[in-house]
Amino acid sequence: MASSDGILLKGAPFEDPAAVSSRNASAYRPLHTFELPKGSEKHYAHQFADMYFVRLAQLKEAVKQKAHEAWDAFELAGDKAKYVERVLDVRQGELCWVVGTVYMEMAMKPNVLDDISKEHWIAAPPSRDTYVSPSGTDDMMLEDESGRLRVAGNSLNSHYVTGCILAALGTEQADGSFQVIATQYADLPRQPQRWEAEDASLTVAKEPTPKREKAGKLAIVSGLDMTGKDEDDVTLDLLVEYLSGEAGGPDQASASSITRLVIAGNSLSNASPILSREEFDVRKGAKRNYGYDSSSYNATPAEKFDAFLAEILPALPVSVLPGEQDPANVALPQQPLHPALFPLSRAYQYPPALANETLEGLDLVTNPWEADVEGWRILGTAGQTLDDLLKYVDGVWPLDAMEMMLRWRCIAPTAPDTLWCYPFQDDDPLILKECPHIYFAGNREKFQAKFVKGPAGQQVLIVGVPKFSKTGQIVLVDMETLEVETVKLGYVKPGP
Amino acid sequence: MAEARYREYLVDRVLAEGQPITYRLLSRALQVHVNIAKQMLYDFHAEQTKKQPKSVHATYLLTGKERSSEHSNGDIAHNGDDTAMRSSPFMSSLPEPENTPESPVPTTSVVLVREEELEKTKSGFEEITSIHIYSLEPGPIENLNLLAVCNQEIARSHASGDPLERWRDYGSIQNPYIKRRTTKYAPAMAKPTTKATVKATAAVSAPNEGSKQGPAVAARKESTPEESKSGRSTPQPGPTASLKRSDSKTMTKKDASVGNLFKSFAKAKPKAKEAEKPIEEDAMQGMSEDEGDADDEPAVKFDEEKAAAARKAREEREQKLQEMMEADGTSVLDMPDAPTEETDSQDAPIDKETPNQPAESEATVTVQGGRRRGKRRVMKKKKVKDEDGYLVTKEEAVWESFSEDEPEPKKAKPTPKPTVAKGKKNGGKGQGSIASFFKKA
Repeated sequence: MASSDGILLKGAPFEDPAAVSSRNASAYRPLHTFELPKGSEKHYAHQFADMYFVRLAQLKEAVKQKAHEAWDAFELAGDKAKYVERVLDVRQGELCWVVGTVYMEMAMKPNVLDDISKEHWIAAPPSRDTYVSPSGTDDMMLEDESGRLRVAGNSLNSHYVTGCILAALGTEQADGSFQVIATQYADLPRQPQRWEAEDASLTVAKEPTPKREKAGKLAIVSGLDMTGKDEDDVTLDLLVEYLSGEAGGPDQASASSITRLVIAGNSLSNASPILSREEFDVRKGAKRNYGYDSSSYNATPAEKFDAFLAEILPALPVSVLPGEQDPANVALPQQPLHPALFPLSRAYQYPPALANETLEGLDLVTNPWEADVEGWRILGTAGQTLDDLLKYVDGVWPLDAMEMMLRWRCIAPTAPDTLWCYPFQDDDPLILKECPHIYFAGNREKFQAKFVKGPAGQQVLIVGVPKFSKTGQIVLVDMETLEVETVKLGYVKPGP
Repeated sequence: MAEARYREYLVDRVLAEGQPITYRLLSRALQVHVNIAKQMLYDFHAEQTKKQPKSVHATYLLTGKERSSEHSNGDIAHNGDDTAMRSSPFMSSLPEPENTPESPVPTTSVVLVREEELEKTKSGFEEITSIHIYSLEPGPIENLNLLAVCNQEIARSHASGDPLERWRDYGSIQNPYIKRRTTKYAPAMAKPTTKATVKATAAVSAPNEGSKQGPAVAARKESTPEESKSGRSTPQPGPTASLKRSDSKTMTKKDASVGNLFKSFAKAKPKAKEAEKPIEEDAMQGMSEDEGDADDEPAVKFDEEKAAAARKAREEREQKLQEMMEADGTSVLDMPDAPTEETDSQDAPIDKETPNQPAESEATVTVQGGRRRGKRRVMKKKKVKDEDGYLVTKEEAVWESFSEDEPEPKKAKPTPKPTVAKGKKNGGKGQGSIASFFKKA
């Protein structure tokens, strides 16, 4: 059943332990795609309309091209489909196609105008699990800078969300709605070759390409949900011991092939600066305290997280994405957690004054996060974008939704409608410019992974990383073959 | 050598102190490779069980492949309650089930299990790649999370040394590429004393102080922030909780020599005392050890009374201190003036009861810019009509605020002040402020 050398159930004389294994370097090139300008360069007074404008302008060409390929030869009852520049130029009864931004009119969706008009007499509704109204009265619109067109058709049923750019083929009906026959989206953008950026810079520097070692594994974990309490301590300890190669028998060495750990958000269980509705009520009802209030801030989870990182960091580089519950800004893109939260582990970070990236050590990054690891392009989020998108649709698997985000070339289509977002002005980094090789989203209910293929041979590994606090799972991605495996840590509940 | 010491250490820790120990803590404590520590635990466990079954309880760490991920769901504890799957009723109506990615993904399971459930869990595994003892504890534990205490202890007491060199001693994975910069400021994260020791010292030192009449205020001051710190810090059941639990479980079957810190203190067993000694060294100085041994019951009672008295005294002192701290800064600064005046004028020792001149003696005086302000007690005559309609003159002590222009004749201090002011004025005359202009006019 078990190989004998794995059994450490023997006493004296003690065998000499096997030689210590060491980790390889992690080839890492951060991209800083989602970093916002610092300090006063940040402007929150801009209109969000610009984001939609930029999105449409940037993606229109790609969508148009796809639609041309698909529909140029399309004929319906002798009618040739023709492209109409603006949605308001659609004529009744004419077979044509238009490009526009989807807007979903949903009764259950939070509406900022409602919020303002009702502010004075009713509390805002609690956040919902889904925006889909049970009666099925939701409307879908297609809009561009000229106006809106109500669209209808069976092919659309709960497959699109606010903010994605779409080409729709169809005819306008007598009632003014646009009956859609087929749709097209931009699909995956160009995918860089492995090691492309590194090789390019080497060529520029006229250096020969080095012989690269076999890449190790990337470990992804999310939702550590550290509380101040000790209910999950042993599982976290096991994680530390697994990653440091202390737990287990001689197979400890397998952990040494892990060359980087990514923590995909929600490391702390409840540290968001925005109070939930219930918390707010409690706070409001409570007596007012002046000065330091220990009930309003509990440093224990943060200290624990810091100590946790400080245990791992001596032997493993860690990239930390902030998540919904972490003490970072709430608007996407979330900026890196502040080093002041990590008095112990920030010794493994380059001084922030000198460099804004740490290649080996504590690497505090944005959410979403884009980087080249072992030559592969990696895009990851802590999962808010996916959670919000899933509220628009019904019965869609998270992995499929992630795939659609890539195909729409929009990492956060529902921002800024229902997702907090920085008002980007001239360029929107949330538009996908290059296709990643690995796309992961943290804080899923369970582990899922699949490969997606693009029209130009792109291949993307999509991973849903489960919450560690719920499942005890971490995801390992082999950075040579892009194979996925999981490690499950836990304990058996003591019986009666 | 560590091989010789481990037995002694484990006897002390598990049997005498009744604390759990993990392989990791053992390797830190004895500076040995973690794999050797695992074998030491096994060795010790086997030996003790042979001597007396069930005297030591073990937990195991299994690594391997579980038979089926679905089946294991029930077995492995996940923390937190199950949140309902989002829109799970709709899932069933999914049109294309082949779209769901169900390709089997290799999963390694690392499971911590008590010895009671070991066989059952083992049978659930398809392949076991390694198994070793994770921890030893005096009795069966109900909540495995209590084992985290050991790692907290590592963070507290074995944090010294370069973390980048740790792999040499303990055999963890090394990464030669990681650099650590030395921060200018060293975080004071590692709390120097465990909660248990703080509590123990507090319990011991309280009666001690009661007997010693004039404890240094400074010492109190030092200890109070520490106490408040420990009170405020992590709300986890630290070592104390585990102690209590293991105690209640094991004391019934084992002889009383296995005792925890408090019990041993109360009963004052000499052996346990020796074990404690390093912790309490300072606090124990004032107490004679014989006392406790002579008669147990009264000693404890007496201690409790003393402790209560000491607590009271301490509270009063603290209150006084607080008052002092809260008093106005200037008045505190000027305080020394008043007593010197008194001693000057009266040539009397301070602690001697002053003669019946309440007005002078009990005045609280503040001196500000040459003016004395304050309150003093004066006897005032008061005429009151009593029940019978007679006018009665009473003398009553009344607090009266006063402010004196003239400083006391003997005081030399105020005199330089005006000169300083004058000097300033003279210096400024070249320009002349607008105020002085108006004054002249």
